[in-house]
Amino acid sequence: MQRRTLMATALAALAAAGAVTAAQAQTLVMWGPEQITEPLVAELWNGIKADFEAANPGVTVEFMPPTGNISDGAVQAAIQSNAGPDVMLTNSGVARVSTVVNAALVAPLTAAYAERGWDQQIYPWLYEELKSQRGGEIYEVPDGLDALGIWYHKDMFAENQWQIPGTYADFLTLMGQMKEKGINPIAIGPRTAGSAGHLFGNILQASSGTPVVGEALDGKLDWTDPSIALGAVRLRELVDAGYIDKEMAALDLDGAARLWFNKRAAMFVAGPWFTANARNAGYDLTNAGFAAMPSDIGAAMPTGGVGWSWMIPANSKQPELAMKWIDFILSQDVMKRRAENPASTMLYPRAIKDYNPPTQILAEIFSTASGGVGYNPSVYLPAGVVDTYFQVIQGLISAQITGEEGMAQIQAKMAEAQ
Amino acid sequence: MSVRKREWPVALALLPVFLIILGPFFWLLMSSLKTEAEIGQANPFALPAQLMWQNYADAWQIGGFGELITNSLMNLAGVVALTLITCAPAGYALAKIRFPGREWMFYAIIFGLTIPVQAIVIPLYQVLFNLGLINSLVGITLAQVSNGIPFGIFLMRSFFIGVPDELVEAAKMDGANHFQILLKVMLPLSTPALQALVIISALSTWNDFFLPLIVLISPDVQTLPLGLVRFASTYASQFRLVFSGTVITFLPIILLYLITQRRFTEGLTQGALKG
Amino acid sequence: MTSLPTIAKDTDGPSARVSRRGTPGGAAGQDGLRSALPLMLPALAIYAVFTLAPIALTLWLSFTDSRGLNTSASFVGLDNYARAGFDPIVWQSLGHTFLWLLYHLALAVGMGLGLALAIGRLKKTHVFFRTAFFLPHLVSLAVVGVIWANIYDPFYGLLNTALEHVGLGRWTQGWLSDPLLVLFSVNVASSWQGFGLYMLLFIAGLQNIDHSLYEAADIDGATAFQKLIYVTLPGLSEVMTFVVSLALINGLKGFATVFVMTDGGPFYQSELITTYIYRLAFSAQDHGLAAVLCILLSALAITITIVFNRWRARLSR
Repeated sequence: MQRRTLMATALAALAAAGAVTAAQAQTLVMWGPEQITEPLVAELWNGIKADFEAANPGVTVEFMPPTGNISDGAVQAAIQSNAGPDVMLTNSGVARVSTVVNAALVAPLTAAYAERGWDQQIYPWLYEELKSQRGGEIYEVPDGLDALGIWYHKDMFAENQWQIPGTYADFLTLMGQMKEKGINPIAIGPRTAGSAGHLFGNILQASSGTPVVGEALDGKLDWTDPSIALGAVRLRELVDAGYIDKEMAALDLDGAARLWFNKRAAMFVAGPWFTANARNAGYDLTNAGFAAMPSDIGAAMPTGGVGWSWMIPANSKQPELAMKWIDFILSQDVMKRRAENPASTMLYPRAIKDYNPPTQILAEIFSTASGGVGYNPSVYLPAGVVDTYFQVIQGLISAQITGEEGMAQIQAKMAEAQ
Repeated sequence: MSVRKREWPVALALLPVFLIILGPFFWLLMSSLKTEAEIGQANPFALPAQLMWQNYADAWQIGGFGELITNSLMNLAGVVALTLITCAPAGYALAKIRFPGREWMFYAIIFGLTIPVQAIVIPLYQVLFNLGLINSLVGITLAQVSNGIPFGIFLMRSFFIGVPDELVEAAKMDGANHFQILLKVMLPLSTPALQALVIISALSTWNDFFLPLIVLISPDVQTLPLGLVRFASTYASQFRLVFSGTVITFLPIILLYLITQRRFTEGLTQGALKG
Repeated sequence: MTSLPTIAKDTDGPSARVSRRGTPGGAAGQDGLRSALPLMLPALAIYAVFTLAPIALTLWLSFTDSRGLNTSASFVGLDNYARAGFDPIVWQSLGHTFLWLLYHLALAVGMGLGLALAIGRLKKTHVFFRTAFFLPHLVSLAVVGVIWANIYDPFYGLLNTALEHVGLGRWTQGWLSDPLLVLFSVNVASSWQGFGLYMLLFIAGLQNIDHSLYEAADIDGATAFQKLIYVTLPGLSEVMTFVVSLALINGLKGFATVFVMTDGGPFYQSELITTYIYRLAFSAQDHGLAAVLCILLSALAITITIVFNRWRARLSR
């Protein structure tokens, strides 16, 4: 239905443009955005599309609803099909981007950064980070950053006089109380690889702190070192204590989220994008609270990294137009408009002036993240490692391996990758 | 007589088996008519308070099932037609014409019977890509036809061999060429084999998932099983849609089967056993 | 059922017959080729492009370091084979594939045979049961995956919630999370879909057994069990070898249910060769290693076919 409407609009626009200058009619096929079938999201993006088309007469933007991302091969398949997109918005991170870069599926954008001033339009630290990843060559333009932490039900916490405590020991006590009440303390769906990584990244951050996690990701610290392995040991402890139900090993993100939305689970580790899931499930967003996982090392911090990026396929039929589109997306107008839209589900790649978060929960997430964001290893680990990393988390949650064994497997892959 | 005495006890004993085997269908049908809240109560024995036919209307519209069914039908028609067009003549040639290299050719075709399509998928993808047939129903149809050719030729050849040579000879005396013999003499005699080939290739095409998963990228060319899997993961948080969408995917073929049950069963078993 | 991968069971039979019977009057040699080729050409063209060429290319790929369509691949000798040998997941997925075949034989063929025996002799209710039990076979395996993932959901699924509601709460399981159970659970779903065809084939086999054999056994005062052992099962041996080889090849192709329900997890516990091929080829873009697994898969299929043809030949002697 949605697709039909989109197509109809596209056709109508095409017809209108064609009437004027048939020769100049151009179509920009865009992969994304996710959840375009949701009315709120569709409304926002149709608005952006209309403005872009108005600013570029003769151009039609066509959305291609994503069938997946790079991890499940959908993006690669789409690009290789040649029926694929001219510009893409998809889940990114070092491993994912490396996969498509190594397969020569996406075009380098390093020159465009300098020529079009993109380097000035994202956080300086972010630009440095991107430059450092592939010997200076950059293939993506970050669209949004993630901030992952604990979502909880305000009413449930008020009723039981619970709150997210300050230390990890107290956090364990809290989960004990939840379990006694017959409520699953944490829901997790590790079949959705990224989601498993969100929880584990939070635990690593809470157990080892940002500097140690950073060293391990850089390969400067052995993953079997107790200072970083502690997180894996703790995850296994949560499973053994029944705070994470072993049976959740078979769930995916939606299956686990269902437990949280129905209040059969007290906490869920997710980022701002979870607002969209909540809205779909009919969950009252004003009841959602957000906090960083309690840490004994330094301040409690959410984790994150580049969550979504723009990329231009190597076989894009409209590379120039695709760049223009990215210019447009990076413009102050569009960024502010997206950030303030109720469908907004992320942190933006630069500070936005005079910005008011559209929902209470987003405001909470932004203020929690304002003190800085730790690493979500899923988006920083090298390509050869990340799959093993996800599998190890599954192994821990299904109680098949110990924390030490799991970390040894990750270390073995890290050694191979270097 | 002993048979008749045994009929009802056996039938009675089969009743629980019947309930267990068809249980998933009953549960699915019932869940598909519940509200999201009722599904959330997780009680499989509770009946829906009100039959939510709306779920079907919503799933149909949101999932674009009309388009998916059309794609599946076009895919199916293409595969069945091409399979008949290619396999019947080839089977005839291998059965009734003597030519050098016949044995050799036959073994090359038989060889294909043993190779699972998953084992050739990477180059198959490349071939389709080079022909510009990725993301197209034509591409998937050709790949599926090729996958079914060994079985189809084998089946037709086995059947044609059983047709007496005298018929061929007589037609030849009348001045018919091989093409005419195939069309006028052989095909009218081979309804059972053709029926089997149609049913088997139709069923395997209708249910195929692996090739569509790899070849069909955009939603507007996807077939039913792939479309449902995509739909179920996109709308995983709305189980009423997942359930009603699932029912939509298998209801048409089950109804078709119930109507043509006898012929269907016959074609399938004869085809499989002969092939 | 993805295209009946029937075994070349009759290879020596009919082809021997052809050479004997052939077309006596048909001109041999060039003339035969000239009339045969146009008839063969459409099939051969499609088959050569979409099956034979890919088989050859798979072999070539397994000796290269190809990482995707747009990349240049160079010859690396047996590197990929060595990598496969040292990759524990290859061995694990191979073991799982064997286990998967065993489960499929026991569950799908077992159930097909059991139900065929049960309803084979029914008169009034035969068609009813046969039709009903065949229904699952009409559902695409991918759709079966969607259905059974919901049946197995530990918190909302049919299985666990039904057990809880009838007071058998302690029997609930993490059907898809328990490492020892997951492959079996997924196989149950596959076998639920697969057994109907085997049942029909067994029923057809039963109908071909000479009725006088039963009458003779009755006269000898044989019990029902003796009749099963000495008349029915031997009478089914032909169909049995066919069904078993069909089931083995179908089992080897198992992909959709695992892909949809577990994606090989948790922690590789349900990874099959086919799902690992897909992961390597289409997600990790490691075409060389994937090609080695493709060859392994073909080798398994060919071995099964040959072994069963031998067995069949010995049986019929």
